[in-house]
Amino acid sequence: MNETAIYIHIPFCDHKCIYCDFYSIINYDNVSSYLASLKTEINYYSKKFSNDRKIISIFFGGGTPSYMEPQYIQQIIDIVKENFFVADEAEITLETNPGTVDKEKLIEFKKSGINRISIGVQSFDDDELKFLTRIHNSETAVKTVRDSFESGIENISLDLIFNLPKQSKQKWLSNLEKAVALPIKHLSAYSLILEPGTILNKMVMDGKVKMQSEEHDADLYEMTIDFLTQNGYEQYEVSNFAKPGYQCIHNIAYWEYNDYIGFGTSAHSFVNGERWWNYSSLNFYNAAVKAKYNAVCGSEKLTDKQKLEEYVMLSLRSEGLDIDALKNRFDLNWFAENQKLITQLIEEKYLILTDSFLKLTPKGYAVCDEILTKIVNRD
Amino acid sequence: MQYYRNFCIIAHIDHGKSTIADGLLEFTHTISEREAKEQLLDSLDLERERGITIKSHAIQMKYIASDKQDYTLNLIDTPGHVDFSYEVSRSLAACEGAILVVDAAQGVEAQTISNLYMAIDAGLEIIPVINKIDLPSAMVDSVKHQIIDLIGCKDEDIILASAKQRIGIEQILETIVRKIPPPIGDEKAPLQALIFDSVFDSYRGAIAYIRLVNGTIKEKEEITFFAHRKKYLAEEIGTLRLGRIKTGELQAGNVGYLIAGVKELRDTKVGDTVTHVRHGAEKPLPGYKDIKPMVFSGLYPTDTDDYEDLRDALEKYRLNDSALSYVPETSAALGFGFRCGFLGMLHMEIVQERLEREFDQSIVTTLPNVEYWVYTKKGERVIVDNPAEMPPQADIDRVEEPFVKAQIVTPSEYVGNLMQLAMDKRGLYKNTTYLDPTRADLEFEFPLSEIIFDFYDKLKSISRGYASFDYEFIGYRESDLVKIDIILNGDKVDALSIIVHEKKSYHWGLKVCSKLKELIPRQMFEVAIQAAIGTKVISRTNIKALRKNVLAKCYGGDITRKRKLLEKQKEGKKRMKQVGNIEIPQEAFLAVLQIED
Repeated sequence: MNETAIYIHIPFCDHKCIYCDFYSIINYDNVSSYLASLKTEINYYSKKFSNDRKIISIFFGGGTPSYMEPQYIQQIIDIVKENFFVADEAEITLETNPGTVDKEKLIEFKKSGINRISIGVQSFDDDELKFLTRIHNSETAVKTVRDSFESGIENISLDLIFNLPKQSKQKWLSNLEKAVALPIKHLSAYSLILEPGTILNKMVMDGKVKMQSEEHDADLYEMTIDFLTQNGYEQYEVSNFAKPGYQCIHNIAYWEYNDYIGFGTSAHSFVNGERWWNYSSLNFYNAAVKAKYNAVCGSEKLTDKQKLEEYVMLSLRSEGLDIDALKNRFDLNWFAENQKLITQLIEEKYLILTDSFLKLTPKGYAVCDEILTKIVNRD
Repeated sequence: MQYYRNFCIIAHIDHGKSTIADGLLEFTHTISEREAKEQLLDSLDLERERGITIKSHAIQMKYIASDKQDYTLNLIDTPGHVDFSYEVSRSLAACEGAILVVDAAQGVEAQTISNLYMAIDAGLEIIPVINKIDLPSAMVDSVKHQIIDLIGCKDEDIILASAKQRIGIEQILETIVRKIPPPIGDEKAPLQALIFDSVFDSYRGAIAYIRLVNGTIKEKEEITFFAHRKKYLAEEIGTLRLGRIKTGELQAGNVGYLIAGVKELRDTKVGDTVTHVRHGAEKPLPGYKDIKPMVFSGLYPTDTDDYEDLRDALEKYRLNDSALSYVPETSAALGFGFRCGFLGMLHMEIVQERLEREFDQSIVTTLPNVEYWVYTKKGERVIVDNPAEMPPQADIDRVEEPFVKAQIVTPSEYVGNLMQLAMDKRGLYKNTTYLDPTRADLEFEFPLSEIIFDFYDKLKSISRGYASFDYEFIGYRESDLVKIDIILNGDKVDALSIIVHEKKSYHWGLKVCSKLKELIPRQMFEVAIQAAIGTKVISRTNIKALRKNVLAKCYGGDITRKRKLLEKQKEGKKRMKQVGNIEIPQEAFLAVLQIED
């Protein structure tokens, strides 16, 4: 059975945050037509792909999926289950923003099948939250974690953002301390990225906000790895940390090069070595589904070289590269060809090689892209 | 012969040389108005973009003057840039007269003066023309005064024109016929033909543009060149209009072309004399010089594997530009490449740009330098055109460098600041002449090395674009010079060595280090940058190791985007030169060019 993940995009948000460049809309009126389209799309792909596939994860990402009424989430999960073989132990995650849920709503989500929750806390500092234009404050964030735990969804993940303008080491450390004091199993810590087209980007260009230095960013990142490792979290990807046994199954599907199908606006899919992605705009998406039962906006069939590069990239970004598995999968001696560079990177303590397993060190994770451009630089 | 007139046009860039030429060609029905729209005399794309003429050509016109006589006018074009002053001098030598064009709004410029002096030295009759008199900003009277001061002509000798409006064109033609003397020469004498230009044609080989001084040349005759004495058969002879017009022969006084199956452009050198093999002239015409490159630079392929491609490209390029010289050289840092000699900075830029554009080469250029004469304690003279090859300081007795005489023409309010600039550039002030109360002509002597980089840009910015500048080589002189080496992580990078004046060496060491720090991106390890004279380190800094380069989020399975970002980063790396384990961007090799004094 081919283990496959399903991603479902919920584009609705209460408002747009300054740093966000994801597709989202702040008008809730279209929810029912969107649900109808999702149903059609799920149905369409199930006919193509449901045979011989076991669904190991369903992930509701956004937007703000927790903004939806639990009954809608319930309906979507039911449709997926009707159309695909979903494993009993499948991880079903709902991205949740503090301020959009209370305990009662969370209980309803649990009833609908949600068994993992990923909370977009971003910060436990009220000034920072204000800067990020989040709708919640620190107190609401803490309460959402506790509500979730008490509602019976105990597999809880938090998102935090570091290297905010003016954020000191001390302030970031206190964010981390507050996070691990809560009953959570998983933490994603992202360095603030300036995305083109965001409000934040404009603020920086206009000189209203100053981003911090690479030094500071690196210091905070090192601190993050040290602190979380000491507190019982294992780093299993550039930005992801988990208590043993609580790595995100959905994320791992991406990184281990497994198949995944995405439904909804701007969702990406990767099946049998082919990638495709949907229209981002809600109107285009709805219209496309109406016309052809899917909303594919673009696709690419990967060349062998691209597949190899992606495989190396995704492995190194996450838990490491199994050289034997690579050799079996791509039938070539990649390791021997890159040996000189790899040896140098090991000497410089960017990489560790154990048996035939190549893994980034914390110092290596910090410059992962630099290493990848060197390692995957073969034409 | 008495109805021939050979002349050229002297003008500063943009003063309207091409439009005057078009006006003449159109008036004499040599070309149509439509053809005139494309300014014909500038033919290379690059030249058109930069508004300069690099290779000179000639064109013949027929004109029935007011005396009812049929005249043959040969207009010989001249290159307009100081890098090509030798070619200018040969073009002038092919003429008896020159039209001096001065822009009514700009006035006399340095280039006008230097070319004018060359024309006067060559004994040419000067016809002054003020162009663009229709411009609202024209200052006709003031420009008249400048011209009168300059050449001592009379007010009424100056022709007022607007080539664009076709005003004054006929007057220019009449004056050419009346004032420029007909050529003097003997059709019966042994053949002496001056090559004032040559071009390469992939089908016909080198084509020489010639001015017959004495004798007659006919097709099928056996001819030779004084510079190398190789023998050829004259295959085709003719005159030049829009294209080549085959006439079978040319006589003393006339201008035309010669095709003789010459395979290489360097065998039809500008300034050389053509004569017959049998009953040829005893002596060449005076003034031949083997022009030597003044500016040198290393050219290396960005990717070491492309060395052969670059060699092929240079070989092909040189067919069209005999002024470029190159020899293979190796650099510990850059691998295999070529040391190239250029006439000047503009020539260097043109070569680089054409190699990249027309021959699709990706090249790394090292800092340009002049040729130094190094005298060792053993009494030998070593010619150094690559700083890396400078003998050790301890073995050197003295070093000589090329000097030039330079002329700067500027509105008088900028004289003070230009003096300061000249001092910064080790200039020796000679004298000042006022062309009129508002315009000064300053004369200096400079080490050539000081003016090849950014002097021109600085001059323009100090004077808000009004000052102009020209120079000529005057000889080698002793200077207190040292070589600065740049050391990256303990290894000397030979391609970054520079030779500078001792007094400026500390300043330069410091600046180069900090500029390199700015230009070399952070690497995965720390990079120590040092500047040293011999074993003495005069400046140091370091580039801290890269600490963070990772995209935090791989959102929602959008691996495509992530891969594309990586591919973009990889493309960036390809434009870097790997020296040891340090990746250096191409522009870092020219870092010194960006340094402010």
